Amino acid sequence: MMKSFLTRLSKVISAGSASKEKAATKTEVTEVAPVTAADKGAPKKEVDSPAPKKSTQSLAKPEAGIQPICIFFEAHQPNRLKPYSFFDIGNDPFYEDDETNQRLLDEACEKCYLPANKLMTQLIEEGRGSFRISLSVSGVLLEQLEINRPDVLESFQKLHATGGVEIVAETYYHSMNFHRSKKEFAEQVAKQMEKVKEVFGVKPKAFRHTACIYYNELAAYVEGLGFESMLGEAVGYVLDGREANHLYRSPNCKTIKAHLRNGILTDDIAFRFGNHAWPEHPLTAGKFAVWCRDNGGEMINLFMDYESIGMHQDQDTGIFDFFKAFPGAWEDLGGRFVTVSEAAQEFEVVGDYDCHEPTSWAHQEKDLSAWKGNAMQEEARRKILIIEELVKSKNDPELLHQWRKMQTAEHFYYMSTKEGEAGKVHDRLRPYPSPYDAYLYFMNALSDLQIRLENS
Amino acid sequence: MLGWEFPPLINGGLGIACLGLGRAMAQQVELSFILPKVDPAFLVDQLELIGLNHLDDRSIDRDRVEKSLVDIANVKWIEGEVASRLLPYQLEEIERAAGRGEISHLTAEKTKKTLAGEKVIDRLKAVGLDERLAMFREDTLYGEDVGERVWAYAQVAASLAEDMDFDIVHAHDWMTFVAGMEIKKRTGKPLVLHVHSLNYDRGGPDARGWIFDIEKNAMEVADLVIPVSRYTGTICTGHYGIDSAKVHFVHNGADPVETFRSDSPFKDGLVLFLGRLTGQKGPRFFLEIAAKVLEKHPGVYFVMAGTGEKMKELIEYGAFRDVGDRLHFTGFLNKEKVNKLLSMTDVYCMPSVSEPFGLSAIEAAQYGIPAVISKQSGVAEVMTHARSADFWDVNMMAEHIVELLTDPKAREEAIQYSLEDQKNCTWEAATERIIELYRDQLGIHN
Repeated sequence: MMKSFLTRLSKVISAGSASKEKAATKTEVTEVAPVTAADKGAPKKEVDSPAPKKSTQSLAKPEAGIQPICIFFEAHQPNRLKPYSFFDIGNDPFYEDDETNQRLLDEACEKCYLPANKLMTQLIEEGRGSFRISLSVSGVLLEQLEINRPDVLESFQKLHATGGVEIVAETYYHSMNFHRSKKEFAEQVAKQMEKVKEVFGVKPKAFRHTACIYYNELAAYVEGLGFESMLGEAVGYVLDGREANHLYRSPNCKTIKAHLRNGILTDDIAFRFGNHAWPEHPLTAGKFAVWCRDNGGEMINLFMDYESIGMHQDQDTGIFDFFKAFPGAWEDLGGRFVTVSEAAQEFEVVGDYDCHEPTSWAHQEKDLSAWKGNAMQEEARRKILIIEELVKSKNDPELLHQWRKMQTAEHFYYMSTKEGEAGKVHDRLRPYPSPYDAYLYFMNALSDLQIRLENS
Repeated sequence: MLGWEFPPLINGGLGIACLGLGRAMAQQVELSFILPKVDPAFLVDQLELIGLNHLDDRSIDRDRVEKSLVDIANVKWIEGEVASRLLPYQLEEIERAAGRGEISHLTAEKTKKTLAGEKVIDRLKAVGLDERLAMFREDTLYGEDVGERVWAYAQVAASLAEDMDFDIVHAHDWMTFVAGMEIKKRTGKPLVLHVHSLNYDRGGPDARGWIFDIEKNAMEVADLVIPVSRYTGTICTGHYGIDSAKVHFVHNGADPVETFRSDSPFKDGLVLFLGRLTGQKGPRFFLEIAAKVLEKHPGVYFVMAGTGEKMKELIEYGAFRDVGDRLHFTGFLNKEKVNKLLSMTDVYCMPSVSEPFGLSAIEAAQYGIPAVISKQSGVAEVMTHARSADFWDVNMMAEHIVELLTDPKAREEAIQYSLEDQKNCTWEAATERIIELYRDQLGIHN
């Protein structure tokens, strides 16, 4: 009762700001996408209809016309640290909060992974618009599932077995270490490839870095690792007025294609969907399909956390119903779906994407400030990585694994002192009372790790 | 005696000192303590404890109490923000309330306006005696209505005192100074003020407000002022302008404690800061000292135990100085954890900006830990052999620490000296000195 009152109240209060927001959204949309009808003979290729079983290769619908949609999901859960105190240093070699991690894993499984896998399987089997998705599951999540929720791991495998899922690669530990150690980065990518091979039996051709980090140097390196596609954020100042809905390439790369996330359309689902104050609420599949169609370009890239379904947007928002209806709505407009590599095969790059600075899909800033915005984050990030040589010199797989798990980006994300909208998200995800606690627990554990390294 | 904090209910520094002194003095003189709160199960040999939270069995002349409300002491009231002045007291209370506390109550900082002066008296008039007494049955002794408590205490204590037979009224810190002045006025008995901490220490040299006024006014009215150190005496005379003829310091004592050593994972040494993370205690200097030591001795560890309004700032500054994996924060620690920490510590560092006494340095000495202390502390007068430096002299502090960690001979010497020094610090010695002062300054013989 109280809740509904508050909801109504917030509607009333936001009515004023709503119109402004709407206007802003509109301008942004037009900026990104002046509706260009049919682009240079875009997608064709006849084919198939109902169930695209085992057909990652096969391509969509005959009725040319509108751009295909590429949906990518990232599934990941970090290994959160426990409140590791000063007195634990030298006494407790276990840093993780098993209980919390188990609890949050279960929550993610029940609210998102299980029902979402079920829904995606169903949608792929129905085949409306040749529905298919691209998916990345971090190594640390696969590992947690293996140990604690084999049933959920199996459900991911079943989903993949529909043939409508392309597995995308990343770093096993969902880390951010490329800036300091290419070697460590490459090793973590290799480890993830191995894990994916083991779990899903495939070798990914597309790569996505943690939080969709993209920049020229990284792209070139990823190209060197043999990938054909890399995901990134469509950042306005790099695109410089051009549309996001095409394939691009960093000027220092030769073959790898950059797939840029359409931030506005993605966030309509992943961020704004359940917000009653948003003037477009409630977002229906039909309405969204029209927005996508009118957004122009050669493809629409919707890249988001898998947890957006059922967690960031909980079940009550109607997110499941939305996804359930969307493939049909899209097909009714003559639309179809592609995976990352299908898009890469179908389309050519249209221009340079000259991205010097690291960009990500985070916040308004689209940079790394969520992980390296303050002195605590800077210090923690640096100090966990500078002991690489020492850790590796011990030839101790357990120790190596433990050290790498401390590289997981969330540890630094929890230390963020950002405020405003972004700060609220940080606060919601942080398992500790404050960013300072997150930092202290991490540094205490790091001291213990350093002392163990010295003594061993 | 008039006291505010008293164990086992309130274990702040003031409470511990009052218990130590009370216990020792009760052996020499007839002593009653009027306190806002006592635990009736807690008995001290020869010492009468009167708690306003347990007055039921005592007879109070209600009429007289009601009538006596007006005109308590001649203080010029200034209404102002008290929070910052009270913080040191207040925070400890929050910490205690939080129990395990650790770091999680970083958010507990608050600044609240407190009513003072005439408004307080108006409000007190509006409520009955029972309601006033009920204030002392609550958990807190400070908080935003500390002003009301102080006046209610003064009023009730003065009425009680009128029915008691005594020669001297001896009040501990500003919370009881108002009561002390009132009792002096009503009974004509000499007033002794025991100064454990001043507004100057808590709020800095520029701090003013009604608490400062109470302190200054009371010290002017008093017959004898007993600061806990020569250092604090100089603040009384210099900063508050009190006649030095009636200011005579008496060092605190320290009760012997059982000590132990435990294993430490920090091979190159652990340096301890223990206290509230507030400007007065100089935590920022500790951080600078740590950074200085680490420049040449990267294996040394530092720990800041305690919490306070500067905690977040210090954590971030530590990260900025790149010492986060060598300088650790514990948050609030209970006594057991403090002892555990002392048993691991190799050097105790107290860079206080203004420290009336600094009991913790003596506790450290009891644990056989050599100390590096600031010259702006009372304990430096007792621990005459301890290494000291001005609180701002980071380089000198760092040199002392390095020497104590790296030179075994110097270290052993320092430990022996500090064990000797702390032996002289007893409540019996303090008692003797106070009785001497009663005799010489007030002409009252035992």
